[in-house]
Amino acid sequence: MLDAVKNSARARRALLLAPALIFLAVFFVMPLADNSARSFLTEDGGFTLSRYAAFLTDRFYLGVILETLILSAAVTVISVVIAYPVAYVLVRKAGRLSGLIVFLLIAPLLTSIIMRTFGWQVLFARRGLVNQWLVTDLGLLDTPLRWLNTPGLAIAALVHVLVPFAVLSIASVLQGVDRRLEEGALVLGASRIRTFFEVTLPLTVDGIGTGAILVFMIANGSFVTLVLLGGGFQTLPLLIYQQFNTTRDFALASTMSTILLVIALACLWLQLRLLRRQGV
Amino acid sequence: MTLNRRKFLGTGAAAASLVGLNGLPLHAQGKTLNVTAYGGVWEQAVRDCFVAPFEAKTGAKATVSLGGPAQWLAQVEASPDNPPLDVLIMSPDLAVLAAEADLMDDFTVEKLPNLAYIPQEFTDACLGKGTYFDYGVGGITYNKDVVAEPPRSFADFVDRVAAGEFIASIPSIQYGPTTVFFLWALNNALGGDVDNTDPFFEAMAKMKDNLVYWAGPNDFFNHLASGEADLGIYFDGRTWNHVDEGVDWIDWINPEEGGAITSVAIQKPKNASDLAWDYLNEVLDADNQAKFAEILNYGVTNTQVEYSEKLAARVTPLSEANLPPYAEIARVRNDWVDRWNREIGM
Repeated sequence: MLDAVKNSARARRALLLAPALIFLAVFFVMPLADNSARSFLTEDGGFTLSRYAAFLTDRFYLGVILETLILSAAVTVISVVIAYPVAYVLVRKAGRLSGLIVFLLIAPLLTSIIMRTFGWQVLFARRGLVNQWLVTDLGLLDTPLRWLNTPGLAIAALVHVLVPFAVLSIASVLQGVDRRLEEGALVLGASRIRTFFEVTLPLTVDGIGTGAILVFMIANGSFVTLVLLGGGFQTLPLLIYQQFNTTRDFALASTMSTILLVIALACLWLQLRLLRRQGV
Repeated sequence: MTLNRRKFLGTGAAAASLVGLNGLPLHAQGKTLNVTAYGGVWEQAVRDCFVAPFEAKTGAKATVSLGGPAQWLAQVEASPDNPPLDVLIMSPDLAVLAAEADLMDDFTVEKLPNLAYIPQEFTDACLGKGTYFDYGVGGITYNKDVVAEPPRSFADFVDRVAAGEFIASIPSIQYGPTTVFFLWALNNALGGDVDNTDPFFEAMAKMKDNLVYWAGPNDFFNHLASGEADLGIYFDGRTWNHVDEGVDWIDWINPEEGGAITSVAIQKPKNASDLAWDYLNEVLDADNQAKFAEILNYGVTNTQVEYSEKLAARVTPLSEANLPPYAEIARVRNDWVDRWNREIGM
């Protein structure tokens, strides 16, 4: 009797899950598999690894992979470093202003990423607002600086887009930290700084990890910001787009996107493993 | 706020639903034709100048699918026996690829009476499986407020940008037509040919410190408007559109060597509705093309078209521009892109 009830509950759960699973299988897993399969097929339908061999032995493409990873890592580190103090103030100090801070954090996400990127162009163009202040208004420089198409500005624009993801991830975990543990450390003579580094920070590694993973994954696939602001970066998403839009080499695009997917999954696995080592 | 598998799956499902639904093909059925257009003013011009007269004459309906040639061609390639689109707007290089793949129907005067008024070279450029219906020319657009004496030729452009006299905004390799209207045009002007692009890449190396790259046409205008660049490589029609919008500080020059003709081709996929011929004939009609040209500030290909005085002064005569050898370029284009990636990077 008990088994029948359990089986019935299981069947109901499976039935409820089925539409979502079928949808995912048809519109996500199958296209992804089809895309990857294309990279392993010769024109007459045979199996080949030649595209991977050519891609992974070409110094130019290896450089592109490295550049993609370095850019994502730099954006992740900077985003987390900026996000932690913001999250701390949001949870511990803002009080009634916390709602306003959350709104200010999320507000940029309500604007099109293209508009936000154009905003960077307006601010940092050769005759843009920033150069106008520096050269004309403040007289600090003789000639305007060239900010656009520099790596720094491209990274800054990506960080601007991605910091909210890190802040919200960290804040939600910080919210759950038991304050009595910190008070205990203070009562036992630890300084505020030591309490932070030995109690608060370790307890929020989970939030830092979640934020870092989110930021890294999104930065890894970022496209619009790099297309519009340049920065001299050549990343895999840019080359994938080019294979579709310009050269129509879909097999090479599939090879690159499969490599990007594997890299993303490998980084995800590595980060989760590191987090687990921290005991989270 | 921890990220778990369930959240990943949920986000994935939402994204897949958006992408999936957006990509569902609309098969032309009965007396409904599915035609294509770029977005913005272009779409409205297509509706007003071609769709409206087609519907009035045939009593059929036409739906307009927005997007770009690479996407439309991929849709037809995926379903050649029952193409989801009846008329394709194509870039010249993709028109050649589609024709070579035998995906498109032949254009003949029997099927399209107005084809008689289109220069034969434009139909030949599509290997007889399509033709051009409008065109622009890639030349030098400059900010009149900061460039008193603009370069009059591509060679002068290269020398003065290399010398640091100007910051130039040029198309990046991410913009599909770059290989033709910029790379081929500049290379051709500097003495290169399809099999020798050294003059182009040497010129780019000389100019590299004074270049910014635009990824799309609006991006170019932002470069000029924000002062990031003083001049650049851009289209005549788009420049005049900005002037008509009240931007009185820009002007356009057709370089002495002649800019590249950048055309828009039209094609009918095999197995698409025969109603497409009626629509295509409207696209090639002189009155409809004249109206289209007035809206978009681009030249059109029907030789019977009479431009207004204002437009006649703006449209670059075909004789003063160069028709790129698209079929030859298609053969080497991927090598050009690869070299660009390795040497220029953007």
